[in-house]
Amino acid sequence: MTCLSLKEATIKFGGLTAVNKVSFELEKGDLFGLIGPNGAGKTTCFNMITGVYEPTSGGIVFEGRNIEGTPSNRIAKLGICRTFQNIRLFRSLSVLENVMVGAFLRHKTSLASALTDMPPAIKETRALRDQAMSLLEVVDLADEANLRSADLPYGSQRRLEIARAMATQPKLLLLDEPAAGMNPQEKLDLMGVVRKIRDEHQMTVLLIEHDMRFVMGLCEKIFVLDHGEEIAYGPPDSVRNDPKVIAAYLGEAV
Amino acid sequence: MKFLGIRLGSIALGLLGCGLIQVIANGQNSFIQLLVILAGLYVTLAVSLNLINGITGQFSIGHAAFYQVGAYTAGVLARSFFDKLHLHPLLWLVLVMIAGAIGAAIAGLVVGLPSLRLRGDYLAIVTLGFGEIINIIARNQETLGKAYGLDIAPRISSVFMVWALAFLTIAVCRNLLKNVHGLTFLAVREDEVASAAMGVDVTRVKVAAFVLGSAFAGAAGALYAHALGFISPTNFSMDVSFIILTMVVLGGTGSITGSALAAIVLFYIPEKMRDLHPMPVSSIVAGAIAIVVTVAVVKRVADNFRGSRRNKTLIIIGSIVGGVVIQLIFSTILRGVPSLQQMVEGSKLRLVVFAVTLVILMLLRPEGVFAHHEFSWSWVKKLLGHADIPETEMSA
Repeated sequence: MTCLSLKEATIKFGGLTAVNKVSFELEKGDLFGLIGPNGAGKTTCFNMITGVYEPTSGGIVFEGRNIEGTPSNRIAKLGICRTFQNIRLFRSLSVLENVMVGAFLRHKTSLASALTDMPPAIKETRALRDQAMSLLEVVDLADEANLRSADLPYGSQRRLEIARAMATQPKLLLLDEPAAGMNPQEKLDLMGVVRKIRDEHQMTVLLIEHDMRFVMGLCEKIFVLDHGEEIAYGPPDSVRNDPKVIAAYLGEAV
Repeated sequence: MKFLGIRLGSIALGLLGCGLIQVIANGQNSFIQLLVILAGLYVTLAVSLNLINGITGQFSIGHAAFYQVGAYTAGVLARSFFDKLHLHPLLWLVLVMIAGAIGAAIAGLVVGLPSLRLRGDYLAIVTLGFGEIINIIARNQETLGKAYGLDIAPRISSVFMVWALAFLTIAVCRNLLKNVHGLTFLAVREDEVASAAMGVDVTRVKVAAFVLGSAFAGAAGALYAHALGFISPTNFSMDVSFIILTMVVLGGTGSITGSALAAIVLFYIPEKMRDLHPMPVSSIVAGAIAIVVTVAVVKRVADNFRGSRRNKTLIIIGSIVGGVVIQLIFSTILRGVPSLQQMVEGSKLRLVVFAVTLVILMLLRPEGVFAHHEFSWSWVKKLLGHADIPETEMSA
C-alpha cells in the first residue's frame, strides 16, 4: 500500500529550481533513504512534504490525499512528523516536556478546561507525560528526563528530536540527518533505534543521511538527488555501483 | 471529592487573603488605600503581560492600550447605565469588569491577528503603534471626553475586587503552565517552526495568548476607572506600558512569581520615596559608595563562587548587610566634610534612584530576579542547599 508519493514535485525560488520534477513512492513500512551531495535539494524535499514550502508545481499525495500547500501543523495531524537537520529543540524546556509537546497532538481536553485546571485536563496531562516517559525509554533518555534539553550532549539531542517526533505517533517519520555529529558507536545504536521504530512502532521511515555506511546498512530503497533532479533509485547495492552516483559524489574522471 | 476539597480550599484561601488585604487597607487613609489598589492592578497587568511576553514570547510593548480599552469601556458604560440600573456597586463592578475584559479581548484579537506574521522587534513596533492609536482615538473622540477625559459618576474602590482579580490572573496563568496546553505556549516561544511541525497550531496559541492577556488588562482597566472616578488619556501613556514591561523583564521573563513580585516592588519603591526627608549630600555620597562596593562583591560572588548554594545565598545576604554598614560608616565620616553638608530634597531623587536600581539589577542578573523559576517549596529548599527534591515545574 502506498504511503507517500511525490508526483513531479517541483519548487523554484526565483530563478533557482531547487527541486525539479522529483517523483518517488514510499510503500507502507518502507525504510527509505534520500541521499545526494550538499545542496542537492534533500531538505527542501522534506520542507515540501511537511508543508514548510508549497511546491511550485506537481503533487504530493499522502494516503490518497493531496497535501501540497497544507500548513505544517495540519500535516502533523495527518500523520507525518519530522526531525530537523539543524536541531530545533525547545531549548529551555526539559527533555520530558519536549516530548510532551509532541504528544500534545493527541490532546482532547479544551484550553478552557486547562485554564481552570479541571480533573480531565489534569488527568490528560498526566497520561501524556507517562506516554512521553515511555518514549524516552525507547531512545534511552529516561534518566535525563528532567534536564534542560539544551544541556544534553549533541547525540542525545538528536535522539530527543526523534522521540519528540515519535510522540505525535506519525504514520510516516522523516529523519533529517539523524546521525550527523555522532561517533561510530552512537551511529550503530541509532541504526538499532530506527529499525525498532519501523518494526515495533509500525512507522514508515524516510531519512536523509550523508554517512553512506549508515544509509546502506539501514535502508532498503535509496533515492539519489543531485542538483534537484533524480539521478538514481534502487536498492543499496545498485545505487552504490551506479556510475552517475559515483560521479556526483566524487566527480568524473578527466 | 478530594479534588473538590482542595480546589474549594485554595479558592477560599485566596479570597481570604484578598479580604485580609482589604481589612488592613481599611485602617489606612484613602491615599494608602489607593496605592494598595494600584499595586494590585499592576500585579494583574504585569502577570497578564507576562503571559504574552514571557510565556508565549510575543514581544508586546503596548499593554497600556488594553488597560485603556477596559477603562474607557467601563467609563462609557457607567455614564450611560449606572444611574438607570440601580445595582449594588459591587455587582456593578463585576459586570463592568467583564465588559472591560471583553472590550480589551476584542482589541487583543484585532492587534493579535495581523501581527501573527511579525516577530520580535517588528511585533514590538506594531504593538507600540497600536497603543498610540488607541490613545489618539481617545484624545479626539467627543464621546470619550477628548483630551480632558471622562468623569465617572460613582467612585467605587474595592481593594478586595482588585486583589481578587490579581489572584484570578495568577491562578489562570499557573493552571496553564501546569498543563500540557501550557507547554505549547512555551514551545511557540522557543521555536515556531518546530512547534508547527509537532502539530501545534501556532496561530491559535498566539491569538489565545493575546486575547487572554488583554482581557485581564481590560478587567484591571475597568476597576481602575471606577477606583479613580476619572480617567484621561495621560493615564495610559506610553510610559505606563514601559513600566509594566519593566516589571515583567525584571521579575524574570516567563516567571509568574517574578512578575507579580516585581510589580509590587517597582510600584512601591517610587511611591515610598515620595516621603523621603531632605538629606545631606554626605549620606548620598556614602550611599553611592556602599552600593558600588556591594554590587562589586555580589557580582564577584555570583560569578566565581564554588560551593554549596546555601553558603552562596548566605554570602550574598551577608554582603548586602555589609553594604548597609559601609553606608553608615561613610556617612558618619563624611558628615565632617563642610562642603558635603548641603541638604538635598530626597523626594527629588526618587526617579534617579529608581533608574539606578534598575540598571544595577539588569547588570547583576540580566535574566531577571526569578529567571524562569516559580515559587514553590521545593525551590526554596533548593536555594538553601537541600537539593534532594528534584525541581519540576509541573509538580509545584
